[in-house]
Amino acid sequence: MDMNNEQLDEFLEMSTVLTAFSAYKLKGTGQLEAYFNTVVEIVGKATMDELLNAYRKVKKAANNDETVLNKQLRFQILSNDKLGPITRNIIKMWFIGSWYQLPNAWRENYGEAEKDSTFVISTNAYIEGLLWPTIDSHPPGAKAPGYGTWASKPQISEL
Amino acid sequence: MHLHPIETVEDLYNYLYVAIQLEHATIPPYLTALYSIHPGTNLDAYNLIRVVAVEEMLHLTLAANMLNAVGGNPDLTGEGFVPIYPAYLPDGETDFKVGLEKFSMSAIDTFLNIERPAVVDSRNIKRSGLLKISRKNISILPSFKSSAGEELHFHSIGEFYNAIAEGLKKLTKELGEETVFCGDHSRQITAEYYYSGGGEIITVNDLDSALAAIRLISEQGEGYEGGIFDYEGELSHYYRFQQIKLGKYYHKDDKPGHPSGEDLSIDWDAVYPIQSNARMEEYPKDSELYDGAYEFNKFYKKFLKELTVALNGKPEMLLPAVGAMFRIKEMSYQLMRNPFPGKEGITGAPTFQVDSI
Repeated sequence: MDMNNEQLDEFLEMSTVLTAFSAYKLKGTGQLEAYFNTVVEIVGKATMDELLNAYRKVKKAANNDETVLNKQLRFQILSNDKLGPITRNIIKMWFIGSWYQLPNAWRENYGEAEKDSTFVISTNAYIEGLLWPTIDSHPPGAKAPGYGTWASKPQISEL
Repeated sequence: MHLHPIETVEDLYNYLYVAIQLEHATIPPYLTALYSIHPGTNLDAYNLIRVVAVEEMLHLTLAANMLNAVGGNPDLTGEGFVPIYPAYLPDGETDFKVGLEKFSMSAIDTFLNIERPAVVDSRNIKRSGLLKISRKNISILPSFKSSAGEELHFHSIGEFYNAIAEGLKKLTKELGEETVFCGDHSRQITAEYYYSGGGEIITVNDLDSALAAIRLISEQGEGYEGGIFDYEGELSHYYRFQQIKLGKYYHKDDKPGHPSGEDLSIDWDAVYPIQSNARMEEYPKDSELYDGAYEFNKFYKKFLKELTVALNGKPEMLLPAVGAMFRIKEMSYQLMRNPFPGKEGITGAPTFQVDSI
């Protein structure tokens, strides 16, 4: 897929706000391109443009004020009928490595995409879900923890 | 540091310290190549390298058991314990570079050098595998000063272990086995504390068990009497790596250099394009990559400290310490998936600079 680097960077930046993980950690999962491509494949390039435009506006309005940014993101994007469900899906992808089928209401209003079904993005996406570091655990069946580490308390870092 | 011929128990401590250092020094290069492989690809090569890395950890533990058996204190935290890569190791009359690089043919060539069976050319070599030559580079294996003050060099890692075996025999003969093997047995890492890591752990409490540990270390690496297998019937490290180079698995009756088994499936491109021998100070100071490398080094330093605690009378601490290895893998992947600012098409890598922390 033809990937626009500028858009990819914007998608990454928006993802850092949505997940509270740093750009370094997000790139560290190796899944950035895959998630970007998944969104474009399912909702189309035009809707991705729309989402990133909306993010750009929110960012401009926030003018580096993090509180305003978080608030505006909720108002303008997460509460938006069209962009909200997609954005929530992006959060779920980062944390779980799966795309969830968009809600019925969304599909009725904005069209059903052929590929819009619930699926695991890839074998590695599941392993790299942010869920696991968030709870200081490991993806069962995919990544072994050190022998006996199950007896140690989880170390959950402050965000 | 110079080594002397082993005359005293103190000399033995120095040799075994170097043995632990040497076994450890191979682990960062193996891990770097291993983690540079895109997850889920190159499964044949990944598993071959992983098993060797795990066996090096067994060797490190065996060397520590030997040092504890003779009353020494293993220490993985001293300055200079982790070499600055690229470092050098001897291979006969020349030495070769051991660096931190991605999975590639050149990395496999280095690994073959590390594990190469010692072929001693008796014409140029002194008794006990020492060479009188000048080496340009500072080797991980220290040079050797004879009792006459002559500076000599070990021909290979195998010769270095031979010197330890000879020293142990000599001291046992002179001082008696009980005097030499005076270490507290509760400091040994026994099978109870060592979980499925590259073979059977040997607890060392006398000359025989010490020699068995040396034999396991040498033969897992180089093979047994010129064959491709060790005495336990497992393919030695050298021939495991050679399979990657030649792209074929060995069969049971194959001759060295001529594997006749199945093809290995290798994709040299399914690899993160990491910076070779990356140094923390080369990453822009305000970059997340720098922070990532710093965190890695801090974590690795802590890991070596925890290992040291475990090897000094708290064997029950070994498993929790080794559990941390999984974080090392995570952190390596993060570094390797982040671009090196200002270097087109190159990504970061762990730097293993614990002395800089």
